[in-house]
Amino acid sequence: MATKTETAQGTPVRVVGFLCDWAVRSEGLLNPDDTLVGMPHVTVIRVPCSGFVKPGWLELALRSGAAGTFVCGCPMGDCLNREGNWIMEDRIDQLRKRLARQKVDPDRIAFFAYGLHDQQAFLDAVQAFVDRLRALGGGKA
Amino acid sequence: MYRRLLTGLQSATLRLDVGIQRVLPQDFNPLYYTGGLANLFLTVLVVSGILIFLYYEPSLEGAYASVEFLTRDVPYGVVFRGIHRYAADAYMVAILLHLFRNWFTDRYREARDSQWLSGMVLLVFSGLAGFTGYLLVWDERSQMLTSLTVQALRSVPLVGHWLAEVFVGGPGVSDTTLPRFLFLHVGPAMALYVLLWWHYVRLRHPKIWPPAVWVLFGLGLLFILASVLPATSGRPAQPGASPEGFPVDWFYLWPYVLARWMAPGWALALVVALLAYGMVIPYTLRETPEERGLRALGQAVVVDENCTGCELCYYDCPYNAIYMVPSPAPGKSRAAANRKLLAVVVDSRCVECGICIGACPFEALELPRMLDRDVQQRIQRGAQAPAAAAT
Ligand code: HEM
Ligand code: SF4
Ligand code: SF4
Repeated sequence: MATKTETAQGTPVRVVGFLCDWAVRSEGLLNPDDTLVGMPHVTVIRVPCSGFVKPGWLELALRSGAAGTFVCGCPMGDCLNREGNWIMEDRIDQLRKRLARQKVDPDRIAFFAYGLHDQQAFLDAVQAFVDRLRALGGGKA
Repeated sequence: MYRRLLTGLQSATLRLDVGIQRVLPQDFNPLYYTGGLANLFLTVLVVSGILIFLYYEPSLEGAYASVEFLTRDVPYGVVFRGIHRYAADAYMVAILLHLFRNWFTDRYREARDSQWLSGMVLLVFSGLAGFTGYLLVWDERSQMLTSLTVQALRSVPLVGHWLAEVFVGGPGVSDTTLPRFLFLHVGPAMALYVLLWWHYVRLRHPKIWPPAVWVLFGLGLLFILASVLPATSGRPAQPGASPEGFPVDWFYLWPYVLARWMAPGWALALVVALLAYGMVIPYTLRETPEERGLRALGQAVVVDENCTGCELCYYDCPYNAIYMVPSPAPGKSRAAANRKLLAVVVDSRCVECGICIGACPFEALELPRMLDRDVQQRIQRGAQAPAAAAT
């Protein structure tokens, strides 16, 4: 598995993700050090709602050397806090535009929406995201 | 036990969504818009109700005939009558789905109790308006419902006879009865709009309409039902007659079915007990958030020094929990020095979601047990590959 998270040059693709407490069930999904099972380069920070995430934190992740960063909220329409995931999706759109002007590839930021029972779909989406990042090359660091 | 049951129901509710989303795109799942669907059907009820009202005559001699006239002689009258009836059923289905979904997905506790409580009162008034609608036709069913209701009310201790008199407008059925029923139908229906204000006051941008596809689908369904299965009356009410049974609308008249097995008074007591239980649900579960397996991060706190009064948090908070007040003193940071406004979090409304934190560009909001500083450290740790893990 580990080799799959490396770029062609062999540098690991580090990813920092934010996962809403109410979205995908996190039991059995995370290693003790908060990385994803089977994807030791993907760190997940659990948050009370996807809308809690500051766009600045996503920027910080990229600036600190992550190749990509994502936020996962509940299915659109089912946010426990009514609007958190819509708001976050908007904020990510704006951040992408801002980053594009600074020559950072907007594809390094992803937004997912998966519910309690969608563990596998979530893992697949993260893997696909990592694969795209591998093509883009490792992070800035 | 009870907690386990609710956890199971929550899991099942979300499992159902997974199934629905195999067929429909995520944001078209009708179960995400049950409140909006209820509002749609309520709107249909009001519009069709006004049209029916124009023809209705609230008198013992005239009521039945006026409804018959509407059904038979007024162009499309039968369709409007049918739409009014089926919209009432669809409305009840929608609010029950809404109720159970909000219950099973934990959207009723703590700071959300005001929506739940107002919802229960909406349910009471909806039920009242629903069953009094069946009294207005003044056919045999209306007559039976009236006598069962009078029996039930009379058996209430102390005030029973008085309640029964208030209900029929005198010691027995008389000329005042149908005007009174008309008021008991239209009054609670109008009260719903006052109650909806209470229901929405803590919600920013409540989604009061479902997606357009569902609006069209709902309206189409009502038209088809009303045309294929026209709403009809039973035989006209006869003074002194005691009809055997009546067609039951299960959504509004089920308590009257109970009266077959128990005294009407007990059926009434049961309904009251159910509704009373519904109203106290948010206050019955005593466990702390930790016991429910949640991280309680605390309610949002404004960092006075940094707040610039930019109002971004105020626009994003989904529960209207942030108020902008005139700033009593300038803030400390450069950006906050000239502020006119200051954000204030209303504790009784804040659900600890942290959405305002994501909105604030000035580090002026925090969830007490998940500070910005700590998140930043974790981001940096995650972003920098531990050297050992790298190849
Ligand atoms: C007249 C019938 C009703 C209508 C038209 C209605 C409508 C709505 C609407 C439009 C929302 C906002 C949904 C959103 O934007 O996220 C809402 C929220 C809510 N309703 Fe109702 N409702 C009705 C009855 C009820 C009933 C019977 C209950 C349960 C007792 C209830 C409980 C709630 C709760 C707890 C919320 C808050 C959900 C949240 O915080 O996400 N409502 N309602
Ligand atoms: S977003 Fe931040 S700076 Fe702006 S009003 Fe709210 S707390 Fe103050
Ligand atoms: S945490 Fe912020 S956004 Fe969420 S309810 Fe409280 S004040 Fe509103």
